[in-house]
Amino acid sequence: MKDCYLGVDIGSISTKGVIIDDENNIIASSYIWTEGNPVNSVKKLLEILKEKLDKNYQIKGIGTTGSARKLIGLMLKANIVKNEITAHAIGTLTFYPNIRTILEIGGQDSKIILIKNGIITNYAMNTLCAAGTGSFLSSQAKRLGINVEEFGDYALKSKNPVKIAARCTVFAESDLVHKAQVGYPKEDIIAGLCKSIVLNYLNNVGKGKKITPPIIFQGGVSKNKGVVKYFKEILKEDIIVDENSHLMGAIGIAVLAKKNKNGNTYSLEMKNLKFQTKAFECNHCSNNCELLKIYRNNELVDSWGSKCGKY
Amino acid sequence: MYKLGIPRSLFYYYYGHFWQDFFNALKIDYLISPITNKKIMENGMKIAGSEMCLSLKNYLGHIDYLKDKCEYILVPRISNFKNDNQTCTNFWAAKDIVNNLFENKILNYNVDIQKHQTLKKGLFKIGKVLKKTPLEIKKAYHYAVIKEKKRLKKNHQINQNKLKLPKTKILIVSHPYNLYDELIGKDIIKYLKKRKIELIYSDKFDPKITNKLSKKISKDLYFKYSKDNLGAIIYCQNKIDGIIFISSFPCAPDSLANELAMRKIKIPYLNLVIDDSTSFTGLETRLESFLDMLGGKLND
Amino acid sequence: MTKISFPQMGDYHIPATYLLSHIFPNDKIINAPKITNKTIELGTKYSPEFVCTPFKYTLGTMIECLEKGADTLIQMGGGCRYGYYAELQEKILKDLGYNCKIINLVTKGQTNIRRINKLFKQINHKYSKIKTIYYSFITLKMVKYMDIIDDYIRQNIGFEQKEGSFEKLKEEMLNEFKYIKGYRNLYKTYKKYLKKFYNLKTYKPDKRLKIGIIGELYTIMEPFSNYYLEKSLAKHHIEIKRFTNVHYLLFEKAKEYKKYQKYAKEYFKYPLGADASDNIARCKFLCENDYDGIIHIKSSFCTPEIGAMPIINKIANTYQKPVLFFSFDSATSKTGIETRLEAFYDMLEMRKEK
Repeated sequence: MKDCYLGVDIGSISTKGVIIDDENNIIASSYIWTEGNPVNSVKKLLEILKEKLDKNYQIKGIGTTGSARKLIGLMLKANIVKNEITAHAIGTLTFYPNIRTILEIGGQDSKIILIKNGIITNYAMNTLCAAGTGSFLSSQAKRLGINVEEFGDYALKSKNPVKIAARCTVFAESDLVHKAQVGYPKEDIIAGLCKSIVLNYLNNVGKGKKITPPIIFQGGVSKNKGVVKYFKEILKEDIIVDENSHLMGAIGIAVLAKKNKNGNTYSLEMKNLKFQTKAFECNHCSNNCELLKIYRNNELVDSWGSKCGKY
Repeated sequence: MYKLGIPRSLFYYYYGHFWQDFFNALKIDYLISPITNKKIMENGMKIAGSEMCLSLKNYLGHIDYLKDKCEYILVPRISNFKNDNQTCTNFWAAKDIVNNLFENKILNYNVDIQKHQTLKKGLFKIGKVLKKTPLEIKKAYHYAVIKEKKRLKKNHQINQNKLKLPKTKILIVSHPYNLYDELIGKDIIKYLKKRKIELIYSDKFDPKITNKLSKKISKDLYFKYSKDNLGAIIYCQNKIDGIIFISSFPCAPDSLANELAMRKIKIPYLNLVIDDSTSFTGLETRLESFLDMLGGKLND
Repeated sequence: MTKISFPQMGDYHIPATYLLSHIFPNDKIINAPKITNKTIELGTKYSPEFVCTPFKYTLGTMIECLEKGADTLIQMGGGCRYGYYAELQEKILKDLGYNCKIINLVTKGQTNIRRINKLFKQINHKYSKIKTIYYSFITLKMVKYMDIIDDYIRQNIGFEQKEGSFEKLKEEMLNEFKYIKGYRNLYKTYKKYLKKFYNLKTYKPDKRLKIGIIGELYTIMEPFSNYYLEKSLAKHHIEIKRFTNVHYLLFEKAKEYKKYQKYAKEYFKYPLGADASDNIARCKFLCENDYDGIIHIKSSFCTPEIGAMPIINKIANTYQKPVLFFSFDSATSKTGIETRLEAFYDMLEMRKEK
């Protein structure tokens, strides 16, 4: 039996899972939509991974990251739960030890991570607004009636990207509708959208940060060729986009799970696991905390959201 | 290469003419940055902090335009004109922000009456930096002061005359650096003028009069330019049909002073807050409905 | 009988209540309820849209005080638009139908004895000046002692051996402070607790992380408004350095400013409003000393700090120290803050290990 390690990255839009071996080779991976239900999507993810995994391997570590990392960490009894910034950096450094700058645009977050000699020296994340992130792009795609996956190809066709104010989702949306009504061609609007995402990112997240090559671009939006093109154009630098760029967070957390292994062996059999969360509002004081109680096979494992520590 | 660059933003709209008179008299060749265009605004946005107010972003864009074209850039610091007449803290900080964000040499003077730093002292200081004799500076200063006084009187007179006209009159309450800027307030003015509205500008009154009058709205307010604006409301509230407030997002003094004024005045008003992503289409709808609301009084 | 209340900040309601109840023994002092989500909701609902967050917090608290029966509210001003809060808040409250009076003790960042005398007479014209001077003295000392102890706590709470021991002892101390009889009693109590704090067992490793917190004063001093930042840092065993407290603002600021200006003269020449220039100098101080990182916090729309931010960024870049900026709003999400903070520790730890 050979050892392997599972990393799960549960984002707001997509859920990613990766299994690596002792030499950090990816032996199985999967990428599915979260669809607002992290528990179910992780169950589905594990089913897929189980199919793909060679029977000679046993899982010796599980790590979770992403916005639902804590919940899923409890569900999988993960041996490490880490934030996505660290996970991304570790994952990227595993394959690109010389990287200096990581640009990342995901579903609801965008971040920049600066690295020197294999160590994170600084990072920044978007202020808590979803403008210029993946979810913004996909909602606009829906509005224009095309698939998000086709966005990049459309954008590449355009020669004159339309200018769109993308500082705020609401404003951008009204601006976009207005431009469409006036009669601009679709590809120019889409290219404008891609360009505005880059500008918005550099003006907000990247402000005051020195972007040094080699630069790698990750997150779901990195699959969009239009955005990549405008990053190259505006930064005047080459941008690396790894084919596994969307999996970097999951890889990173799997690497961390390997580092933190404690001898336990894990199973991927979760189909029959009863994992429930119950929300209720505590009226003990005027804080009115929204509490979340978490049950694993009908056993209370944790409760969150209390401000006073009553729970 | 010019000797001196003057950014056409913020302070310019209070002191622009005065500076021009002063530097003309001193025979300094200066360059005033052009009327705000998209490029300037965009560069400002790139340089400025994302939370800074639109006017300050714009100002930094103008500095950026001048940075390779002039030996010095004029960035004053205006802190207060006596105890209860402060300016916005961005006016306090402008010099230090510019100094840290740009490599240029800055020509700076400080107006801080509480600490006995007057305009006159300041101008003598910069005159010296520009290698002029005290006598030359004195002459230029007096020349500029006299012209400024005349201008003030004339503006006040124009406003008063406008108030007597039998037309629909709207008072525009705004800081001049927003109101007259091509990309911030100009579109609104153009639109209103097209509709044949007589516009009275709050900053064109004699501040000595309006500053005192502001006490009728607010006892404690200590922002000089907001006080002048509120005083203008009192000065002409019985002679106008409506008020339009225009501020840039997120203006600190306006957020409080205008709110108080809106709660106290009894004539119809419209509050417009301009952001870098505000499109005129949205403003137009609001302006149109405001004018419709003033209704029967419209004279077109 | 007047029913006096005031918006609170951190633990400072204890000395404030102490002072007021001794100056106005025949009036009732109503303690503001603790800030909760409801407070912010109330404050945000009735505040202008882009006013800074402390306005919303204090307005919310004022409404809650009035609901509890207060009729006179005390507010103080600062060196930015904070100084102008009172008048607008009074108008908003009146428009809401509350009948109340707001006494603004400090305005335009300045005050004098004559003004305070006049205002106190409005509350109760029979108040005693001598008593006021005596109790003000005690109260100011109390504030000073509290700040000294808080400083010690901040440096050590992350390394306590028994969880909660510092918090418990502090609560005990504050409870005793409420019933102080005279200066000598206060001094003795303070010394007693100082000793007790020194005796609390801690374990401080040599390779511990040290973080300096700078930023806008209200957000720094009111833990609810910064989402208990200090508490979560302590949980990760981090030593915290914070400069701003009430004692600093009242007595040291004017004096320190000159020192700060000299120390960081390449970065600023003039005061930038409120604590902005102080924070620039502090940032340089933290960079030059063995601090691992800097956290800059402020409420949204705090103009002076927004002006200072690019300068702080520049200093940090020069010294290659990481800074984490937080801009708190009433709608900030707790998870977002946690993710950013967690990544910040991870980063600092990795840097330290190297």
